Amino acid sequence: MKLIFVEFFKLKMKLRAWLGPILIFLLIIISFPLTVELSSEALNDVFYSILWIASLLTIMVSVESIFLEDYEDGYLEYFYVANNSLFSLIFTKILIYWILIGIPISCLGTFFSINMSDDISSLNIALPSLLISTYIFINLFALGNSLSLNKGSALGALITIPLLFPILILLGKIVLNANFGFEISNLLLLMLGVLLLIIVFIPFIISFIIKTHLE
Amino acid sequence: MLKKLYHQFASPKTYIILVNKMYPYILYFSVLFYAFALVWGLGFAPADYVQGNSFRIIYLHVPASFLSQSLYIVMAIAAGIFLIWKVKLAAYMIKSIAPVGALVTFIALISGSIWGIPTWGTWWQWDARITSTLILFIMYLGLISLHSSFTNFEKADKFISVLVLIGFVNIPIIKKSVDWWSTLHQPASITLTNKPSIDPTMLYPLIFSMIGFSGIIVSLIILSSKVHIFKRESHKSWVKRNV
Repeated sequence: MKLIFVEFFKLKMKLRAWLGPILIFLLIIISFPLTVELSSEALNDVFYSILWIASLLTIMVSVESIFLEDYEDGYLEYFYVANNSLFSLIFTKILIYWILIGIPISCLGTFFSINMSDDISSLNIALPSLLISTYIFINLFALGNSLSLNKGSALGALITIPLLFPILILLGKIVLNANFGFEISNLLLLMLGVLLLIIVFIPFIISFIIKTHLE
Repeated sequence: MLKKLYHQFASPKTYIILVNKMYPYILYFSVLFYAFALVWGLGFAPADYVQGNSFRIIYLHVPASFLSQSLYIVMAIAAGIFLIWKVKLAAYMIKSIAPVGALVTFIALISGSIWGIPTWGTWWQWDARITSTLILFIMYLGLISLHSSFTNFEKADKFISVLVLIGFVNIPIIKKSVDWWSTLHQPASITLTNKPSIDPTMLYPLIFSMIGFSGIIVSLIILSSKVHIFKRESHKSWVKRNV
């Protein structure tokens, strides 16, 4: 519990680390309509894919230094020596990132999707899929950035984005099914299942990687 | 006995000795096989009913795309062996397979788009199989750049094997993409369980070309693994004696 508070305030104190990504998300969402004809129907068709890609890019930017500062000032090493495990720290870090960045992004995206598609039912599509997918994205980008710790975030993004393609395919299927009026809860549940697996396993893998870094 | 054999083969020294003996045979036989298959396929197999002569690029495209996926599976197995039993040779193999895998995937992409011009009328289409093969290519490049960005090779070995194992989630998607989506790319003609949907006069040279091409690629992997092992084990006395 104490850990959660510590991590929460550590991220909250760094305004650029959590408010910056949210504003970037807003800017991406605003700048996409400018590149298409502003009031065209085409925007409605592609709006959801804009949403997914914008959330992916935002998460990519926000997670790029998730472990870097703690690694450089020795906190990770201290935590590992004190507790003999990194799982709780990594799990909490990812959770806090989701709470401070993932949830606001999901709400913003949902808000815009209501405006764009003139359809209140988009609330059932955009909100749950954004909530789940941002958590998955944060987990996987944390993994990529732990692999490329102190080697620059470009490498982390390069090795992570290919891993996200299954999720992007699922998100695309959700929009497709919703457009045809099919049931989407099965796909959402599938994504939730993926998320549960990821929540458990990714922190383990990351702690293995960081231990290797600390050796 | 078996355990001794296993330990012996897992040592880079025995591997190098064994491979030095086998390398010329593998190379010459596979070149012979592939040349034979090419002569058969390009010269004697009948032209396709619909595609005419343009189908003959199949003798490059199919072996390359087959290998592009199987090499990743081999890397994943090697990664598992390295992480579980700490067999160093497996890590060396991952590092030496990755560039060859990228090369093979590139060949598959290029030959596929050359084949696409006469048959589909387009170089490139955002089709499930083509896109996922491009992703596979980028994954190989990511593995190479991850490994090369570390000067500490022991760390790099662990990281690359973790990444190979996680990236394995994409392989079933690439493999099954032609069945799950209705796409431009046709489903596989040759499977283990079903009767092949391709005529024997074209099938036999295809099988020969797959064997020959795989042999050539295996000999390429042997070469790159030899370079990598000599580089990594350069402080050992047996390397100094041999090189």
